Amino acid sequence: MENTLVEATDVKKDFYTGKITVNALRGLDLNVHKGDFLSIVGPSGSGKTTLLNLIGALDVATSGEVKVFGKDLSSLSRRKRADLRLKSLGFVFQAYNLVPVLTALENVEFVLELQGVGKERRERAQAVLEDLSLGELGDRRPNELSGGQQQRVAVARAVASRPRLVLADEPTANLDSENAKTLLEMMRYLRDEHDMTFVFSTHDPLVVSYASRVVTLRDGRVVSDEQKNSIAEDDEATVH
Amino acid sequence: MRVSLIMKFAVRTLGRSKRRTLLSAIGIGVGCAVALFITAFMRSGTEMRIQAIADSGFGHLRIAPSGWMKSRENKLRLSDWHAELQAARSMDGVRVAAPHARTTALLAFGTRVTGVEMLGVDPPAEEKLNRLIGAVQEGRYLRPGDRDVTVIGNAIAERLEVELEDDLFLTVVCEDGNMEYAMLRIVGIVNTGSRDIDASICHVALGDLERLTGLHGAGEITITLEDPSKIDQMAAQLSDQIGGRNEVLTWREIQPGQGADSASDKAFMNLFIGIVGVVVILGIASAQLTAILERKREFAVLMALGMKGFQIVRLVLLEAVALGLLGAAAGLALVTPLLYYTDTKGIDFGSALGGDMAVSGVLFDFVMYTQMGLWMIPYALSVALISTLIAALYPAWFAMKTDPTSALSLREA
Repeated sequence: MENTLVEATDVKKDFYTGKITVNALRGLDLNVHKGDFLSIVGPSGSGKTTLLNLIGALDVATSGEVKVFGKDLSSLSRRKRADLRLKSLGFVFQAYNLVPVLTALENVEFVLELQGVGKERRERAQAVLEDLSLGELGDRRPNELSGGQQQRVAVARAVASRPRLVLADEPTANLDSENAKTLLEMMRYLRDEHDMTFVFSTHDPLVVSYASRVVTLRDGRVVSDEQKNSIAEDDEATVH
Repeated sequence: MRVSLIMKFAVRTLGRSKRRTLLSAIGIGVGCAVALFITAFMRSGTEMRIQAIADSGFGHLRIAPSGWMKSRENKLRLSDWHAELQAARSMDGVRVAAPHARTTALLAFGTRVTGVEMLGVDPPAEEKLNRLIGAVQEGRYLRPGDRDVTVIGNAIAERLEVELEDDLFLTVVCEDGNMEYAMLRIVGIVNTGSRDIDASICHVALGDLERLTGLHGAGEITITLEDPSKIDQMAAQLSDQIGGRNEVLTWREIQPGQGADSASDKAFMNLFIGIVGVVVILGIASAQLTAILERKREFAVLMALGMKGFQIVRLVLLEAVALGLLGAAAGLALVTPLLYYTDTKGIDFGSALGGDMAVSGVLFDFVMYTQMGLWMIPYALSVALISTLIAALYPAWFAMKTDPTSALSLREA
């Protein structure tokens, strides 16, 4: 289906620690559709992070099939998976993980350089920051930014290459509610205005409240998958 | 021109842990400085050795009779030595070409006798060639037209208990096997400071030696060059010039012991530089690996962003290059004052060695110099960059092999 970005079918993922096998995912089925603002929730150890790893082409399933944009990830080489991440996926991490020796602008620009964008990469990076109302932060290094600002720059970096799918792992975990709200507004703006799809793993009720779809995992399986109206859907707040 | 971000990333990374960077740069710098000093010493040492050999009368090159290399027989004489001498003197780059002939002889005065290797010379050419005869302590050196006179070393004079103007009784074996006798008046006594060398100097005019031995002509033409760095090139040219009548030898063949010493010195110094290099490489590799281990999460993030393995390797190697440049600068800063001092003032080994520095008839200076020059910059850069790049290979491979899921596991701990 053209609108289906991710198709995970009967996905199992085992981890081996010495003689102990941990079944992180136990036959999981999940589709992610274009435009989803999807929260994956569940207790610790339910497999949220493992699922994001698999969708993000950072890891491969033990069995089953994970297709992203129609491509079976298990058939892709390490290099092609890196290409997929670079060109079509964006990542946002809990601890921001900006490159500390680069400015905010350079962090965004760096992804474009990796993509091989030439002279215009600085203008494009600046445009991304401006678009997300972060233009005035461009010259600052990460240690000169607050946590909320760092996470917003991290989102800017994640979307600089205009990925179709953005994966965010506990993006609001280190933020206060005000900053978390600003971040979620920014992400929703990106979904609405730039046709991006977001998948979050989270424990944060605020994130869930913004989600258009909530998938609950337990013991490596999907136990519920509900479409919902975001409580914030009608808010007038925008990043502009 | 805009500097690539990966370059900025690499350079700025050095500023993250200034103490580690400083210590690493000093480590590389010390290794670099040691290599520079040894090389500067070795370059100068080789030059000084060649010059000492040349100045001691052995020259840079020698035209010798065919077969001399094998037999080292003093009775052999050059074919058409006048032509060879002319050929050598007409070549550009030849400073002096002096004909020599040698024979063994017995010198006697009263009841005292000593054996010597007597050298027949062309006095004006010899004065330009041989630094040792500048050390005439008493009397004078030989002059054109001198006959039945000799200049001897101080040690011979002491052994025979002779003075200037004494007449020595000389015995030599002629070409036909008969003994030939002559009286030689001492016109000069040389004191080089080396007892070994002073016990070997006995110069006479080439004509006297021809007459006494019955062997006509020169047994060798000793040549010094304007530019000793062109010895091999000039040897080939001279060889072409004289055809196959005689053979052209370099100082290494004339003084094989010195050649071997020079080669073994070089090998030892290179081994020492190699050991220093290995120690530096291991030290840097250890520091780099620690830095990489600390940055595993960062590499995982970069991989998640789409950075490929070769780009990670490039980043780590660029960091190594930046560190290498710092190390080279540190090495140059450390060694330049020392090299400047040793280049201009030298190191005086006189008191350490005592006595003299004569080996196989070659008189060396007590003061050894190093050789500074622009060569130090590319040399320091090469040493520092090569060692840091080698040291960074394993850390780079390690960084490339980072498993993003285990290093990052997306969820932060």
